[in-house]
Amino acid sequence: MGIEEVKKYIEKRKKLLHEVKELIIERLGLDLIPEEIDDDSPLFGMGLGLDSVDALDLVVGVEDKFGVQIGEGELLAFRSVNSLVDYILNKEGGNEDGTQE
Amino acid sequence: MKKLSFTSKEIQKMLPHKFPFLLLDKCYDIEPGVRGIGVKNFTINEWFFQGHFPANPIVPGVLIIESLAQLTAIVYLSKIFAQDEIGTNQKTFSEVDLEKVAEKVGYLVKVDVKFVSPVSPGEQILLHAEIFKKVGSLSYVKVMAKVGNRPIAEGRLIVSERE
Repeated sequence: MGIEEVKKYIEKRKKLLHEVKELIIERLGLDLIPEEIDDDSPLFGMGLGLDSVDALDLVVGVEDKFGVQIGEGELLAFRSVNSLVDYILNKEGGNEDGTQE
Repeated sequence: MKKLSFTSKEIQKMLPHKFPFLLLDKCYDIEPGVRGIGVKNFTINEWFFQGHFPANPIVPGVLIIESLAQLTAIVYLSKIFAQDEIGTNQKTFSEVDLEKVAEKVGYLVKVDVKFVSPVSPGEQILLHAEIFKKVGSLSYVKVMAKVGNRPIAEGRLIVSERE
């Protein structure tokens, strides 16, 4: 993978991280700005403290916004913003390290 | 699967709700677990018009939400009538243990609804509910209400079922 591809991947990931945080804030009505949500902080439990109702709302929001279909067994993807972005990028046909099939 | 309809009598058997909080008169085009249409008539004699408001009777928005939630309950409760996914062996009321049905009604958990136009005595609202996604016992429901062609409310609810 060349330097240009790596740069593109990093930009894409940064953008996606930001969009996911914006979606969480907007969809769940949180009083936060994207910069206040840590990439690795747990969404449920001790991090943002979201609950199962927020989870469902978020699942529908992610499906809508990013055009993915999330199955019931795939909810671990919602562990953190980072894991969610990994999931979305994977679904779009790429791998975690940014290489394309 | 054949679409189902329920009369007021049947709705009263399925839902635990009773007067003064049964806000669904009849329903039809019910696709169990998926979507359905309901009807609620409003008459000047409703208990809430006395206070809401004396000079200007308007149906409280929260009660429209409640009607939509009750329709949603009928949509997921009616799954009991479908014996299999293809729906070739639908059960009838006499074959189903109705006491078990009302037990499955859960709670209204989240509401995000916009009200576009008020409803007055003498009007009939048409209610639409579509269960968009279900995760565990929670269902995400798209809802809409109108009087004739006039939009009244639209938005989404999240409801729970007792499994």
